[in-house]
Amino acid sequence: MNAMSPTPSKAYDLNFARWVYENVDGGDRMALCMQCGTCSGSCPIGTQMDHGPRKLFMMIRAGMKDAVLSSNTLWNCVSCYNCVVRCPRQVPVTYILHDLAHVAVREGYAQAKESDNARFAKAFWWSAAKYGRTDERLVTAKYYFSFGVGEGIKRGMANQKIAMGMVKTKRMHLGMPHKVKNTGELHAILAKAAEMEAKKHGAK
Amino acid sequence: MSERKTGVYLCSGCGIGESVQVGALEGVAKSEYKLEAKTHACLCGDEGVGMIKADIEAGTNQVVVAACSARVMTDRFGFEPIQVVRADLREKVIWSHPAGDEDTQALAEDHVRMALTQASKIKAPEPWTEGEFSQTIMVLGGGVTGLSAALQAAGLGHDVLLVERADQLGGHARTASKRLPHTPPYDKPEANDIGVLLDAVAANPKITVRLNALVTRTAGMPGKFAVTFADGTIEDVGAIIVATGWRPYDATKLGHLGYGASPDVVTNTDMEKMLAAGQLARKSDGKAPKSIAFVQCAGSRDADHLPYCSSICCQTSLKQALEVLETDPTANIFVIYEEMRTPGVAEELYRQAQSKGVIFIKGKVKAVGADLTVTVADELVQQDVPLAGLDMVVLATGMVPNSTNPDQAMVEYGAEQLNGDVDPEAPIAVAGYCGEAPAAHEKRVQSVPEGGPLLNLQYRQGPHLPVLHDGFADSHYICFPYETRRTGIYTAGPVRRPMDWAEAAEDAAGAVLKAVQAVRSAAAGAALHPRVGDLSFPKINLNACTKCRRCTVECPFGAIDEDEKEYPNVNPTRCRRCGTCMGACPVRTISFDNYSVEMLSSMIKAVKVPDEFSGKPRILIMACENDAVPALDQAGIKRNSWSSHVRVVPVRCLGSVSLLNISDALSAGYDGVMLMGCKPGDDYQCHFVKGSAMAAERLSKVGETLKSMMLEPERVVQAEASIADSDRLPKVIDGFVETIMKVGFNPFKGF
Amino acid sequence: MTTKTMSYYPGCSSQASAVHLDTSLRAVMGKLGITLRDVEDWNCCGASVGHVDGGHLGMYALNGRNLAAAQAQGPEDFVTPCAACYLNSHYHNEKIRGDEALKAEVNEVLAAGGKSYDGSLHVRHSCEVLVNDIGMDAVKAQVTKPLSGLKVAGWVGCQTVRPFAKTERGGNYDAYDDPKFLDDFISACGADAVPFKGKTKCCGGSVSVMSPDKTLHLMKDILDEVKETGAEVVVTPCPLCQTNLEMYQPMINEKFGTDFNFPVMFYSQLMAVAFGLDAEKDAALHQHLIPPQPVLARAK
Repeated sequence: MNAMSPTPSKAYDLNFARWVYENVDGGDRMALCMQCGTCSGSCPIGTQMDHGPRKLFMMIRAGMKDAVLSSNTLWNCVSCYNCVVRCPRQVPVTYILHDLAHVAVREGYAQAKESDNARFAKAFWWSAAKYGRTDERLVTAKYYFSFGVGEGIKRGMANQKIAMGMVKTKRMHLGMPHKVKNTGELHAILAKAAEMEAKKHGAK
Repeated sequence: MSERKTGVYLCSGCGIGESVQVGALEGVAKSEYKLEAKTHACLCGDEGVGMIKADIEAGTNQVVVAACSARVMTDRFGFEPIQVVRADLREKVIWSHPAGDEDTQALAEDHVRMALTQASKIKAPEPWTEGEFSQTIMVLGGGVTGLSAALQAAGLGHDVLLVERADQLGGHARTASKRLPHTPPYDKPEANDIGVLLDAVAANPKITVRLNALVTRTAGMPGKFAVTFADGTIEDVGAIIVATGWRPYDATKLGHLGYGASPDVVTNTDMEKMLAAGQLARKSDGKAPKSIAFVQCAGSRDADHLPYCSSICCQTSLKQALEVLETDPTANIFVIYEEMRTPGVAEELYRQAQSKGVIFIKGKVKAVGADLTVTVADELVQQDVPLAGLDMVVLATGMVPNSTNPDQAMVEYGAEQLNGDVDPEAPIAVAGYCGEAPAAHEKRVQSVPEGGPLLNLQYRQGPHLPVLHDGFADSHYICFPYETRRTGIYTAGPVRRPMDWAEAAEDAAGAVLKAVQAVRSAAAGAALHPRVGDLSFPKINLNACTKCRRCTVECPFGAIDEDEKEYPNVNPTRCRRCGTCMGACPVRTISFDNYSVEMLSSMIKAVKVPDEFSGKPRILIMACENDAVPALDQAGIKRNSWSSHVRVVPVRCLGSVSLLNISDALSAGYDGVMLMGCKPGDDYQCHFVKGSAMAAERLSKVGETLKSMMLEPERVVQAEASIADSDRLPKVIDGFVETIMKVGFNPFKGF
Repeated sequence: MTTKTMSYYPGCSSQASAVHLDTSLRAVMGKLGITLRDVEDWNCCGASVGHVDGGHLGMYALNGRNLAAAQAQGPEDFVTPCAACYLNSHYHNEKIRGDEALKAEVNEVLAAGGKSYDGSLHVRHSCEVLVNDIGMDAVKAQVTKPLSGLKVAGWVGCQTVRPFAKTERGGNYDAYDDPKFLDDFISACGADAVPFKGKTKCCGGSVSVMSPDKTLHLMKDILDEVKETGAEVVVTPCPLCQTNLEMYQPMINEKFGTDFNFPVMFYSQLMAVAFGLDAEKDAALHQHLIPPQPVLARAK
């Protein structure tokens, strides 16, 4: 594995492409991308992306680290895996976008804090890591309130009808969250994973 | 020659007997030529052929076969050394015209008349075999191509003289690092095995090597070349293979790509040497580069530099990148390309480089700074991208052919010839072009390499080996590879077109086969491509010669020199037998034993021209036998039909058509004349390079003559034909017939 | 009838939005001779967003812990009915199995919780079990109330077949671009599987949950195509697909002026009904925002 790591905030980083090839999940296959555009053409939500995967990959080659890690392409991916199964060079596009999103979080990029997906992911991981289960009610609430109390209430109200329906049909429960029995063991495992991950990338 | 005894044989098979009255054809032979014709229902069968053979046994010494096209059944109707004349009653008569029709019958009868007239005007050629002929093959250039050629020629039993200007053999390969992949799976650089070739050449007793050699003069002709060297020695050789290879494009002209601004901007040839020496280091500080950018098309595919693609620079950069990664897998390598050109299996190398982490950026390099910042107009990101912090920039420069000797100064004499003897700007001006006349060619930038002549040819037409556009020495990349416009001199390797090591070795084999054929044919007095085996050669009646020099100037192959009294002097083994000299001669003093202006005119006049009251025109087509005649045969095979009022006379090349043939036709009452031949011009398809261009030039002067004869210039045209035109040509012919009918009948009819 | 025991990983939605999938699948599998043994103390798979904060090893930790727990109970196949759970378990399992260094790393993580996993389990989707282990003949044999005349659009969605239309034992159980298994399920229940070109279109997944404004048009396209087919009900294997397409119909109608009101069911509910099982206790038909009972009642 290449020891190089992305240098902090650079518009153009000569080492970025090579770093991605060697450190991002699926990056080794990305090296074989031939820019055919099947990925972007297959993306159901490509119209809502600032770049789309094809161009994003070329920006990686151009070393445009800031632009890549600030791109909403990483965050708007709906994980449908159309690009993955259709890529003629077997580039696992979705996995690469996922991993880059994590890199953006690690490096503290704004999109990684401000975007809906980043906020939702934060709430999701909070529930998964704390309880071992995703409690849809808590995750949704935590996500709404990540925008602030006012916005949180507004979003909650907008979806109140749905929430009520889910409660009525017993698909959303009230009361204590679902959780694994052995939370101590789970926390130890996740802590170990986080520690090893941090060591690998140089603690921030 | 003993008394001519001509046997005439008619075939009624393949539907001929059902479509035309063969008995009437017999009658033509008997009443008009006093010859008894024999008809057989299957002349090409054993019985028919047996009948002809029996007559030959009995003393027949010339055979006329009126059956199918002269292009088929050549083995059945070949009776060496007996001369055979063929009349086509099948492809160009019954397959392309209605059966039982009086015009079809008239056409068949005229075909018989033309063949019998032709037979009466020719004799079996006697080959030119005067003096000694050398079987030695000289190879000029001792790189991969030359070494391979030497071994191939020696392997075929010929003595080889291998000539190298440097002090050792091996060429570029000697200082190169690894080779491009040439064995499966074609995905990695392979060992430089030039040593194998060098050892094999050193061990071969049939190969004589001359190092530090400079050719100062090459005189003579195939089978009889006398090559003089700088030390005064003269070697006799039969054929020459020019394998002088290439030189890198002059990088000092690439200032816009940073060359010269930093010592760490190097060329791919510099890189190759560093890799070969195992010392990849920056010239500025001696440090090993950790990040390298390769700039593709550096001075290539660029109107200001080399306009062409050298075809191997992409692969070479891939190879060099992989070599760098072999020693330092963490090196950060960029390849900036416009199009990655990796034809065929070379794609495997591209994939390998991708999977090893080489970073490919598609775009044009806008600038390379002294600090090695490469600014790329990135086509896929659609913005300018600076690559800053590079340690080295490699310019992938292209190949310049050594079609001249870079060690020698350019000589004034012959420079024009080197630039191409067909003026690319000249429109094809003819009296009237049938169909769309070809436009003037766009002027190509001639990038003729600097340098003196390689062989200093003692030819009337100059010391150089003529080049094609872009300066490569070849006469047609696709149709006539290895051929130059100098018979017996063949090019192989990158002097011919850009290519790599493995291709060059194969190319050498092709040129060797040509050279072997050249020395063997020369000794037998036989022609080479495209009239392989033809024993005729041009004979000039100097008593009638006016020393006009047209033949010496117009010969596409420089076969005719001028002697000290300025008379033309034919070098028979240089000649390709196209007859362009014959067509050029204003006083019909040049002819072949079996081909002459008089023969053509007699055939033309043998045709029965109907009078104007019949309402039927008569139109002559002089058709090139290389492409036009086979295309017409093919049209017949496909049962495409055209007007029965035309008469087709096959010619060796439109270059051999004399204006006298045309005026004879008009005097005989033909209403129109069409010359049908190959595409002329800069991107010619003429098998004799410029025969059809010469015909066009001559026709351009016919207009005035026609006017002075009170004839319309529309009556004489030239039409372009390619081998694939079997559907188009019948329409071209019918269109011309229609035009002539509008112009009206020739007033000289029956004059 | 074959009887088999399998490790069962129901996934988080089984306790909330897709509880009706869990209920009906357990009932149906029971009828088909498959005993589902729950993975002890299973946890979340990380779904489509866990990687963001959890990172590479965080995802391996979650999925590795489940696989380790299953293995501790026995070597039986690891079955899950959830598309995201299937994708994550399958992906991480294959990676662990194929890379010794990674396996060691993951085990170092798991060791912190006293667990270990050797990569030898086979992760499977419950649909694939129905296709390969049970077969449609066995399904048909259980049908007592065929849903004749019911027009059903089989909507497979994404992650049930993408990227893993292949099984861990090799070969594809169906095509990732035009899968047939769901239509076969529908036909086995006696209903009409209408030709449905939107069968593998995406509902927007978790992006629909967090920002429906970005993805309502995707679901609207799917519903338009359902309408074109003349189907009365949509059947899907995916928990998130079911929830998204069902709960957003009012919002879609409001935004696009449409009048969609299609019930969206799980294949397991359809089977439970066709098997003649209890409409609430087994088929969980009462847990829909858009009740399917009126449409089902129309079946002959």
